[in-house]
Amino acid sequence: MLAPMTAAHARIALGLHASLSALLALIVVVVWAAADGDGLFWPAWVFVGLFVPLAIHAGARWAEGLPTRGERALGVCASVAGALAVADVAAWAIGGAGEFWPVWPLSALAVWIAVQALVVHRHRLFGSAREEELSERVDELARTRRSVVDAQAAELRRIERDLHDGAQARLVALTMHLGRAEERLGDRPEAAELVRRAREEATAAIGELRDLARGIAPPVLADRGLMAAVEALGRRSAIPVSVEGGLSRRPAPVVETAAYFVVAEALTNVAKHAPQAAALVTLAERGDLLVVEVADDGPGGADPAGAGLTGLRHRVEAVDGRLEIASEPGSGTLVRVELPCGS
Amino acid sequence: MRVVIAEDNALLREGLIALLSDHDVEVVAQVADGPGLLRVVNGHKPDLAIVDVRLPPTFTDEGVRAAIEVRRRHPGTGILILSQYVEPVYTAELLADGAEGVGYLLKERVAEVRTFLDALQRVAGGGTALDSEVVSALMRARDPRAGDGELAALSPREREVLGLMAEGRTNAAIARELVITPSAVEKHVSSIFSKLDLPAGDDDHRRVLAVLAYLRAS
Repeated sequence: MLAPMTAAHARIALGLHASLSALLALIVVVVWAAADGDGLFWPAWVFVGLFVPLAIHAGARWAEGLPTRGERALGVCASVAGALAVADVAAWAIGGAGEFWPVWPLSALAVWIAVQALVVHRHRLFGSAREEELSERVDELARTRRSVVDAQAAELRRIERDLHDGAQARLVALTMHLGRAEERLGDRPEAAELVRRAREEATAAIGELRDLARGIAPPVLADRGLMAAVEALGRRSAIPVSVEGGLSRRPAPVVETAAYFVVAEALTNVAKHAPQAAALVTLAERGDLLVVEVADDGPGGADPAGAGLTGLRHRVEAVDGRLEIASEPGSGTLVRVELPCGS
Repeated sequence: MRVVIAEDNALLREGLIALLSDHDVEVVAQVADGPGLLRVVNGHKPDLAIVDVRLPPTFTDEGVRAAIEVRRRHPGTGILILSQYVEPVYTAELLADGAEGVGYLLKERVAEVRTFLDALQRVAGGGTALDSEVVSALMRARDPRAGDGELAALSPREREVLGLMAEGRTNAAIARELVITPSAVEKHVSSIFSKLDLPAGDDDHRRVLAVLAYLRAS
């Protein structure tokens, strides 16, 4: 209501209101004294009439400064109720102070303000329980999501193992038999040719299964852990890569895999967009966090919304990690990932 | 030729034994884990050990570890790693003490029977046999423009020839592969030797040294 006014305007308005009220009160008293000066002191009623709007005005000014919208509304209502309560008591006193009838309007006003206060401040009464419930829920969701992601990672590694020992091994055995058959068909070139084609098909299938398994997790990661796998990535990269840091223990498989693919993707990006650059990969533990950084001295200006980086972000967020990218043009690119180690 | 086999998958072990016995290769022992390999190499002194990478008890790189141990204790025994995947880290570890008598092949290469038997002979005789996948993984790794020490001096054709040498191919095989004459291959090979500054001497030994230089650069 006073919002468009500046604070100074509002202060002046309230001052003016108070001065005018005082002036009117004085005039009324002078008129009363000039009339005869005794009998019923009727200006008291005028005082009450002047007091109520002034009290409400002042209350509203005060309420304006309260922090929340609910509290401001409550402040205005409390001012109105307070002004009315004072007016009621004054009217009772002026009217001869007989039976204390204002008890009824005062009670009504008190109930009104109490109900409103309850509504406005309900979160203080019930809030702590609600917040606790929410935070427990968040903990529970984080825990269950983590266990789903862990279970998924374990399942993927089991599939990889099963592929290796099952389908892949059978196909290899099949190619061995076909190879032997091919040899024995040396005197029947047409049949030998058919067998050779069958062997080549089986070999292609083995290659496809191998690519599939590598996409789940490269063997060196499962066998030797993150540090060795990252060093292997560095050696295979088309750009010079140094690896620093170290880990005192192996993080959970899902964390290792996420970290591995972050480094793999980041190095691929560097080789693609900054083929003249060199990269530095740093692995460190900070408290319960695994911190992985891939820095390069390329031209910078990477697009954090690009498909590759978005995919990485999702992989990292799935294990409650954080991914940051700093890539100012002219100052290289830094991909930094923090992953809760879990266990 | 006398060989021992370390392979935990019975299907593959039997397939391999059948194939080898077709060609008068004597399988003197077969084991299914890493410690077993050391035992039978000790006992039988074979010409060659054919070793799977993933073996019990760890089912990780047990085979590579056991093979390195065999190489350390019995330097004369050829080691042929058969794996379902290519892992340059393992190749590099096997070759750390030299490329004599070491091979690393994908398992499905066994089915190309002639080529496989050639590789067996070569490794048992102290030569090298690296899968073309291993070599091309290493090739992909280094962009020739990036410059990698002594290999930077080689022409693209010489790199190709060196890559095929690393697979263990003979000059005749390289000539067939690149569709050039054997004398052209010889010219490339001697150019590689001189660019890599390899000491004069036995050609087989120089080939091994060239391959090592190649792998070190990768």
